[in-house]
Amino acid sequence: MTRLVEVPAQFDDRSFDQFAAAYAQATDGGGGGERLLFDAHAAEWASPYGLVGLLAAGEAAARRGGSGGGERPLLTAPVNPDVVSYWARAGFFREAGDLFEVHGKVPKTKPATESEVLLPVTPVRAAEDVHAVVSTIQQRASAILSSELGLDPKATMGFAMALSESCQNIVEHAGTGGWVAVQAYNWRRKLARRVVVIAVADAGVGFRHSLESTQAKRFGERWGDAAALEAALIQGVSRFRDPGRGQGLAGIRRYLARWEGKIAIRSGTARIAIVPRWDDDVPLKDGLPAFPGSQVLLIIPEQGSGGPGGSTQT
Amino acid sequence: MIQQIMIHAVLQQSVAGFYTDLVTRPTGRAVRENIERDLPTGTIAVMDFTGVGCLDYSCADEIIAKLVRDKVRVLLLRGLTDSHREAIEPVLAGAGLAALCARADGTLEGLGAREPAPALLEELVARRLAARTPGGAITLTAA
Repeated sequence: MTRLVEVPAQFDDRSFDQFAAAYAQATDGGGGGERLLFDAHAAEWASPYGLVGLLAAGEAAARRGGSGGGERPLLTAPVNPDVVSYWARAGFFREAGDLFEVHGKVPKTKPATESEVLLPVTPVRAAEDVHAVVSTIQQRASAILSSELGLDPKATMGFAMALSESCQNIVEHAGTGGWVAVQAYNWRRKLARRVVVIAVADAGVGFRHSLESTQAKRFGERWGDAAALEAALIQGVSRFRDPGRGQGLAGIRRYLARWEGKIAIRSGTARIAIVPRWDDDVPLKDGLPAFPGSQVLLIIPEQGSGGPGGSTQT
Repeated sequence: MIQQIMIHAVLQQSVAGFYTDLVTRPTGRAVRENIERDLPTGTIAVMDFTGVGCLDYSCADEIIAKLVRDKVRVLLLRGLTDSHREAIEPVLAGAGLAALCARADGTLEGLGAREPAPALLEELVARRLAARTPGGAITLTAA
């Protein structure tokens, strides 16, 4: 039997919970005998967050063992030629081919040939991958960040630092590999401005499991996905007892505060966000549909006169 | 005697592949362990960042904070870019540690926590490795 997981037509962080609910429902009971079909045929648009999240779901589904005795989950590619072409250029199918049995017409396009795709969907498994990502982004992102987003040219290095620390979260804590993608685009719906988005996703153990041995007792009955995210992002704790740990997320927060950016982390059944003035997201959500691993979203908006939400912080 | 550390060269010796960025904890650990092999405990060391691209917080902690905490008496940093400083400053400050930084004009300043920095400057002056200028600043006389 095959179970359907519908991919939202507009697939981004806002619709991710809808996707997670479909995934949770399809995997309900944890049974291994049923193959999952991720249906993206009607997809009209996907953000980098959606694309890396879909890969994480594919990995988790394949790992369930269930997928019918080693069979990979199925994925129907978008039928809209523009959409499927963009997914290919964003590097999605290069990674999806290893995880899914892909159905549909997929163009053989090399990823990352356009300026918007600052970093195509890229696997992150080890420190060497983080080095490659940081090196690539410095070559590609500098012009976009300074000329198009109005960031101080010096901010490029801070951007690379934030990207490095986001990716290291996978290497250090996930217990498995993950993916990162960076893209610039016009965010008409929300800001009417250009933004640069970093999306990182894995299907690993998640924040709660990673921090459980060192933090669960401290939180007592409150312990759960939300408390784990709060401990990591707000309190800067780490599973390592080394006093210097926990610097990464704190550094990302400082960088984003300077450029009025946003960070949101979803893990398990919770999601936490540092919400800038231009956004109306909620700081903490709990009781969401369960989804494996961790998904991190960083958004840096175009700076300029007036700035997002009426002023510019520098 | 002041130990000289060219951090870019150490990076090349420490990891496979040609990297100019000091990122990730494993890289930081490899670089620090390479430095520690030739660095007697309690020494005064100059670490030159010329040629280093991105320095992330994890590497700043793994290399600089741990050397300052466990290995060197005074660590003097030079060739720093603004972004290097942005990574190092909070890491040291958060741990209550300080290093010294050589500005482009040769004067020295503390980097990190405020409390330990004056004693580090005084130590260099006492050892005649640095001297006070008539304006009150402290500049390096050696290294």
